[in-house]
Amino acid sequence: MARHPISPKSVRPTRTVFGFAAALLATVSVSAVAQQTPEQRLDALDKRITRLEDMNQVEKVQRAYGYFVDKGQWTQLSELFADDATLEIGGKGLFLGKKRVLEYMHKAFGSDGPKEGLLANHMQFQPVVDISPDGKTAWVRSRAFVMSVGGWGLPLYEDEFVKQDGVWKFSRESGPFTMYSSWKGWGHDALNNTWPDKFDPPPDLPPTTVYLTYPAYWIVPFHYPNPVTGKPFPVEPVGAYQAPPGTPEQEASRKVGRLADGTQPIAQPPRD
Amino acid sequence: MKRPTSVRGELVEPRIRTPVPIRPSTSLGRTGVGMWTICAATLLSCAPVPAHAQSVEQRIAAYQHRIDLLEDQNAIEDLQATYGYYFDKGLWNQAASLFAPNGTFEYGQRGVYIGQAHVQRAMLLFGPQGLAAGHLNNHMLLQAVITVADDGMSAKARWQGMVMLAQPGQNGIWGVGVYENAYVKQKGVWKISKLHFYVTAETDYDAGWLKSAIPMQGPSALFPPDKPPTEVYRSFPGVYIPPFDYKHPVTGKSLADIPEPPDDVVGRK
Repeated sequence: MARHPISPKSVRPTRTVFGFAAALLATVSVSAVAQQTPEQRLDALDKRITRLEDMNQVEKVQRAYGYFVDKGQWTQLSELFADDATLEIGGKGLFLGKKRVLEYMHKAFGSDGPKEGLLANHMQFQPVVDISPDGKTAWVRSRAFVMSVGGWGLPLYEDEFVKQDGVWKFSRESGPFTMYSSWKGWGHDALNNTWPDKFDPPPDLPPTTVYLTYPAYWIVPFHYPNPVTGKPFPVEPVGAYQAPPGTPEQEASRKVGRLADGTQPIAQPPRD
Repeated sequence: MKRPTSVRGELVEPRIRTPVPIRPSTSLGRTGVGMWTICAATLLSCAPVPAHAQSVEQRIAAYQHRIDLLEDQNAIEDLQATYGYYFDKGLWNQAASLFAPNGTFEYGQRGVYIGQAHVQRAMLLFGPQGLAAGHLNNHMLLQAVITVADDGMSAKARWQGMVMLAQPGQNGIWGVGVYENAYVKQKGVWKISKLHFYVTAETDYDAGWLKSAIPMQGPSALFPPDKPPTEVYRSFPGVYIPPFDYKHPVTGKSLADIPEPPDDVVGRK
């Protein structure tokens, strides 16, 4: 399709009046605004302010989650979840409901509170937040950098939040792993993923996707379109081993260890 | 070929574009005449009232107040990030200038320094002004939870601090900790009223936490602090929870009564 140097969308009646810069700013014509009552304009303003406040609050919930993980505050952490929320971390599988979130944390990581000699910092950053047009749902793509006694880790998050009685809560936490290695670093060793029976408790449902972490990778689907083109774009549901695209190595790696449907099975536990 | 995607349909077409009005170039927030003043002066309650029950003037005042708080939060985020950039490069004079005149600086167990002059001199304990050759003093700030007081005059924030240190002839150091800071708005400008960095852990770059735990430094004999540490605790392998300044974001309950882990050296049961 031929591309026009100037998108037809950018040509607006206001352009001749306010000049090019103003036309870039004004996405509705001035006359349309003038036809609105002050109440209507205030309603629109209220929506925009609320959206900004919501974005801040959702970021705060995600960050509070991180601080609770750091200090083993599992009860407080579970209170960040809606009653029917789901949780999926690494390759462990799905846990259904706030109570199961708490059970998971207590069984897998012990009672509330930090433990002497244990460090498991999950530092939260790089959030991309979106609020649904109706203001009741939100999504965050963000990540954590894990500094722990066990070494280094990189979870990614594609989380969903719900606003209940004016309060934002997790409705779904998805924390697939990008890379986990010992202190010696990812050049030395890496865990390919966790799996449902790696540790107790067992999940309520199997993992939604079976994938391997570094040196393999999985492109976690984005909840939002490309912010510049406004369009979604296809990503392979499961990534391949790292090799330059088009090389025989990359082609071969795409078939290694895969099932007929293209997914990769969970590896056997490493033998020490 | 249809490929799977999880992009939310609501976020694609039609794209939700809200009108962007042309804003006046003056900002009331910087003049010190915050809209809250006007809000209060006109005896308006900024407590939630159904929008349709409010007059146009009441609604404008309420929305201006909410925008003030959003701008305050952004200004504080910029202020603290800027502190980080200054501190990393040993720009102690610039870093100290971000403090309120009676602002406090407390790093680990070094004690509390009070006032810009003492803060700046205390920072010399981290190296010379301008950072010496071969030094790395990175204190990355992330994960801000900022809470601006409703009157828009003070704020508190928790930050995550990731630390990378180096000196010539020594191995590199990885560190991590938590900031619990406070801010004050003076003449329309946000300043640091309290900077408190709680060191969680420091380790040798090569050894890692399982083999190396570097203890915190105590109060300096060269330039003693104005006050002893506000809280006594150990860094890794010890554990401590820097008190949360904010309430639980979902339950709204205070996090002040989260029990501290026991420590036999400190004598905390």
